[in-house]
Amino acid sequence: MSYTTKKHDELRAQIREWAEREIKPIAFMLDQENRFPGEQIKEFGKMGLLGIPFPKEYGGLGGDILGYAIGVEELSRVDGGTGVILSAHVSLGAYPIYAFGNEDQKQKYLVPLAKGEKLGAFGLTEPNAGSDAGGTETTAELRGDHYILNGEKIFITNGGEADVYVIFAVTTPGIGTKGISAFIVEKGWDGFTFGDHYDKMGIRSSATRQLLFNNVKVPKENLLGKEGEGFKIAMSTLDGGRIGIAAQALGIAQGAYEAAVEYAKEREQFDAPIAQLQAIQFKIAEMATKIRAARLLVYSAAELKENHEPYGMESAMAKKYASDICLEVVNDALQVFGGTGYLKGMEVERFYRDAKICTIYEGTNEIQNVVIASHILGKSAKAKPVSAKPKAKTPVTGPRKKVMINEGTAEANVEKLVELLKNDGYDFTVGIDIDTPIINAERVVSAGKGIGEKENMKLVEDLAKAAGAALGSSRPVAEQLKYVPLNRYVGMSGQKFTGNLYIACGVSGAIQHLKGIKDASTIVAINLNGNAPIFKNADYGIVGDVKEILPLLTKALDTGKKKPAPPMVKMKRTVPDEPTPAPRGRYVCLGCGYEYIPELGDEDGEVNPGTAYKDLPEEWVCPECGEEKHNFIPSSEQ
Amino acid sequence: MSCVRKVTEDLYWVGVNDKRLHLFENIHPIPNGVSYNSYLLKDEKNVLFDTVDWSGCREFLKNIEEVLAGEPLDYLIVNHMEPDHAASMEEVLLRYPECKVISNEKAFMFMHQFGFDVEGRKDEVKEGDIRCFGKHTVTFVAAPMVHWPEAMVTFDTTNGVLFSADAFGSFGSLDGRLFNDEVNFDRDWIDDARRYFTNIVGKYGPFVQHLLKKASNVPIKMFCPLHGPVWRTDLGYYIDKHDKWSRYEPEEKGVMIVYASMYGNTEAAAHRLASELCEKGVTNIKMYDVSKTHVSYLIADAFKYSHIVLASVTYNLNIYPVMYDFLHHLKLLNFQKRTFGIIENGTWAIRSGALMKNFIDENLKECTVLGAQVTINSSANEGNEKEFSSLADALVDSINK
Repeated sequence: MSYTTKKHDELRAQIREWAEREIKPIAFMLDQENRFPGEQIKEFGKMGLLGIPFPKEYGGLGGDILGYAIGVEELSRVDGGTGVILSAHVSLGAYPIYAFGNEDQKQKYLVPLAKGEKLGAFGLTEPNAGSDAGGTETTAELRGDHYILNGEKIFITNGGEADVYVIFAVTTPGIGTKGISAFIVEKGWDGFTFGDHYDKMGIRSSATRQLLFNNVKVPKENLLGKEGEGFKIAMSTLDGGRIGIAAQALGIAQGAYEAAVEYAKEREQFDAPIAQLQAIQFKIAEMATKIRAARLLVYSAAELKENHEPYGMESAMAKKYASDICLEVVNDALQVFGGTGYLKGMEVERFYRDAKICTIYEGTNEIQNVVIASHILGKSAKAKPVSAKPKAKTPVTGPRKKVMINEGTAEANVEKLVELLKNDGYDFTVGIDIDTPIINAERVVSAGKGIGEKENMKLVEDLAKAAGAALGSSRPVAEQLKYVPLNRYVGMSGQKFTGNLYIACGVSGAIQHLKGIKDASTIVAINLNGNAPIFKNADYGIVGDVKEILPLLTKALDTGKKKPAPPMVKMKRTVPDEPTPAPRGRYVCLGCGYEYIPELGDEDGEVNPGTAYKDLPEEWVCPECGEEKHNFIPSSEQ
Repeated sequence: MSCVRKVTEDLYWVGVNDKRLHLFENIHPIPNGVSYNSYLLKDEKNVLFDTVDWSGCREFLKNIEEVLAGEPLDYLIVNHMEPDHAASMEEVLLRYPECKVISNEKAFMFMHQFGFDVEGRKDEVKEGDIRCFGKHTVTFVAAPMVHWPEAMVTFDTTNGVLFSADAFGSFGSLDGRLFNDEVNFDRDWIDDARRYFTNIVGKYGPFVQHLLKKASNVPIKMFCPLHGPVWRTDLGYYIDKHDKWSRYEPEEKGVMIVYASMYGNTEAAAHRLASELCEKGVTNIKMYDVSKTHVSYLIADAFKYSHIVLASVTYNLNIYPVMYDFLHHLKLLNFQKRTFGIIENGTWAIRSGALMKNFIDENLKECTVLGAQVTINSSANEGNEKEFSSLADALVDSINK
C-alpha cells in the first residue's frame, strides 16, 4: 500500500504478534467478565507502544499518526475493546497535552503518558452535553491559585483506569461554548471519584466509567491552553480522535473478515467448503472491497494529519465510512458462520457487538455528516440562526424545592426531614404493603447502587415498612445486582411512579430514573455524594451514608403496625416559588420606548438572536422609530 | 371673567378644570375630573408655558388676557405636544402674532403633523440651552418617553420652579385649590395620582428613573405639572412615590385580590381566602370584581400592593376574557416584581390557573407565582380547605419575608 513504509510494516508485525500472543487468548474472558487488561496494557506501554506518534524527546516512539492508526487497527483486529484503550489514551488523553500544553505540562504529563507509565483519558460528554458540547454543566470556578471543579462526566473511556484526564468545564457561564475551558486532572485528587463500570453491549474489555467531581481543587497551572479555549481544544482533539476510531472499526472489520474467510474454507456443506458457494464468495468479495476502501480513507486522513494539512473533513469521512462498513462486515461475517457464529465464545459474535459503538462514539456518524457537510457548504448552510436564549434550567423532575437539610448531625437532619414531611401532610400512621405495584403505590422507598452490599437492602426494606411505602429500586440494582425483581425498578424503561412520596436511598439520579419519578409530589434524596444529580431533582435532600441515615429515619417513622392507607389522594406539588429571572442586557429606545431584547435580536435589522446591545453595529437603528443606537438607555439597573 | 391664581412672584396659573369629561384619553374614567395647567411668567418678556385642551380654550384665553393686562405675549414654551396641552396653541398664536414658540426639534415635527403653523416663529432648543427673559433665566432638560419622545421639562434657575410637563401630574380637578398644601393629598388625591401615573406613564419606568437622576442635580423648589396640584412643600413625598412606581416596587405590603366569577363560586373562594388571610394576620386587603372594575383602577392598585391574587374561572378553555384583559394591561405597562397567588375554577376542563401562571412567567419580569394554588371544580368544597390554607400560608410567609 502506497501509504505504508517498511517501518510501518515492521510495526504492524510487532503489534500483531503481541496481540495474538497476549490478548487473543484472553479476549473472551475479558468480554465475559467486563475486565480491563491492566497487566497487558502495562506491558504494551513498556514496549513504547502507548506513545507511537509522539516525539522521542517527550518519551514517545517517534513514529507517526499512521503508525498509531496501525496500532489501533491491529489491537482491534483481535479485540475491539483493547483497541480503544490505545485510541483513547493517545488521541484523547495525550494528544491535547501535546498540542495545547505548555512545556511544563508536557514534561509533567505528556512524558509519562508517552512512555506508557501512565494512562490517559478525556472527559467531555455529560448527561446534557453529548453531540452538543454547549450544554456542558461541569463548572470550574477560579479561587486564587486553583480552580474548583464540580460536576460529572459520563461514558468516559479508560475512566478509572487512567491516571491523567483532560476535562472540559465551564469557566464563564452563559456564553455557550466560548465559556468552556480544558483542564488536566489527576486520578486520586480529593473529590474526584468514579461511578461504576458501565455494563456495555460490546468493547467490554475497555473501561467506561462516570467521572464525579465534588469540589476538586485543580491547580491554576493545570489549565490547558487559555480560559475559553476548551471547545476549540475539544473539537481539534476529536478531529484527530476520529482517526483512532476509524482505525478501530477497520481493525474489527479486518478481524471479522479474516475469521469469515478462514471459516468459509473449513466449513463444508453440500460436500464442499462453503467458500465455493457464490453466495459466500460474494460476501467475502464485498467485505474485502469495503475494508480496502475504508483502509485507504483512514490512512489518507492519518497522512494528512501527519503532514499538518487540513484533515478534519477527511477524518470524519474515514470514521463514518469505516464504522458503517464495519457494521456491514461483522454482520456478513457472522452470517457466514451461521448458527455457530451466534454462540458466545465465537469471536465474530464479539466483533458483532464491538462494532456498533464505532458509529456512535467520538461523534455519532450523523455528527460526522454535519462536519463533512460544513466543510463543503460552510456554516451558512444553517437554515436559521439558533436562538442564544439561555435555556432555563429546569430539573428533569420539574421544579423542586431542592431543600438540602444540613442541621449538623445525622439525627438532627432526620428529625428535620420528618418534620418537613409531616408539615407537607404525610401521615405515617397509615401505610401500604411493601409489595404494592409501583404504579399503584402512594409511597415508594427506592434503593440505588449507593446502597452497597446486598445485606443493606434490609435497611431499605425496614424503611419502606416504617414509611408505609412500597419497595422500589434503580435499574442497576434490579438488573445487575439483582437485589429486587426486575418489575420493581423505577425509571423510563421500568415502572413509573406517580404517587406522592418517593424516598431515593443511594440513588445518584440518572436521567432515565428521574424521568420515571417526575410526577412524584415529593422527592426525598439520601446520598453520600452531595453532587449527585438526584439532589437537584429532589424536594428534600440529606447528604449522608445510607447505612447511618436509613436506620435513623426508620426509627423516626416507625409507628408500629400501620393502619391501612385510605384511597390515595394525589398531593399537589408545592414547587419552590422563584421569581422569573430579571432580564439582562436589555436597552430601551429614547425615541419610542422600544425594548431591545438580546435573546430575540432584531430580525428586520438582520441582527441575530443572542447579539448583545454593545455588539450591535453602529449603523443599527431602532426598528420601530429609526432612533440611532446611542439613543438607548439600559432598561433596568444593571 | 377670568379664573387665575398666583403661583409665586411673577408666575400665574392660567389653566382650566374639566369636570365634564368621562374618559381621559378616551380610555380612563375620571370621576373627579382633571385640570389642564398652563402657567404665565411676567417678566421683561412674557412667557406662556404650554396651553390647555381645546375644550377649555375660551376660559384659558380670558385668563391669559387678564394676566397680560394689555402687554404682549412674547414666547410660548411647549414642553409637551399631546393635544390636552397643545391643542389651544394655534388659537394663542393667532391672537398674539408676535409670539415666538420655544420648543425642541421633535416637538416642532409633531406640531407640523398636527397642523399647527409655526413657520418663521420657531426658536429650537435642546437640552442644556438657556433662555433669559429679564429677571428669569430658564434651562431645558429633555424627558424622552415620559411618556412621549418630545417631552421636556423647563427649569427656572431664578426661582427654582420646574415646569415638569406630565411628570408629577395627577387626575382630579383643582376646584379652586392650587397647591399640594391646600389639599389633603395623601387622603384625597394619592389614588388619582397613582392611577394617573401607572396607567399613563407606568410602562416607562426606566425613562422616569433616567429623568429623576438628572433632576436630582437640580435645586428644585416647586413642581408645576400639567395636571393636578402645584407642589411647593414635601416634594420628597411625591418624588418617593414616583421613584417606587417607576422602579415597579410596591408601596405597601398587602394583598390585592382580583376575581373573575360568573355565578359567584369563584367570588366565594376569593372571600374565603381573604378571611383566612385576616385570621392569619394579614388585613391590608383590597378586593375587586374584575368584571365590574375599570382596568385602570386594577392597574393602580397592582402597583400599590406587594401581592396579587388572581381568581379566575375557565372560559372557553381559556382565562376569563376580562381577567385576561387585566393581565394584558399589566404586560403592556411593563409591570414587574410582584408575587402572585392563583385560584382557578372550572366545571369540566380547568385551565385558567396554568394559563395565568404561564402568562405571568412569560410576560411579567421578576414576578413570582406561588406554588400553592387553589383548584376548584365548580364550587369549593371540604377538599379545598387545605389548598386555601396552603395558599394563605404561602402569602403570609411571602409577605413576612
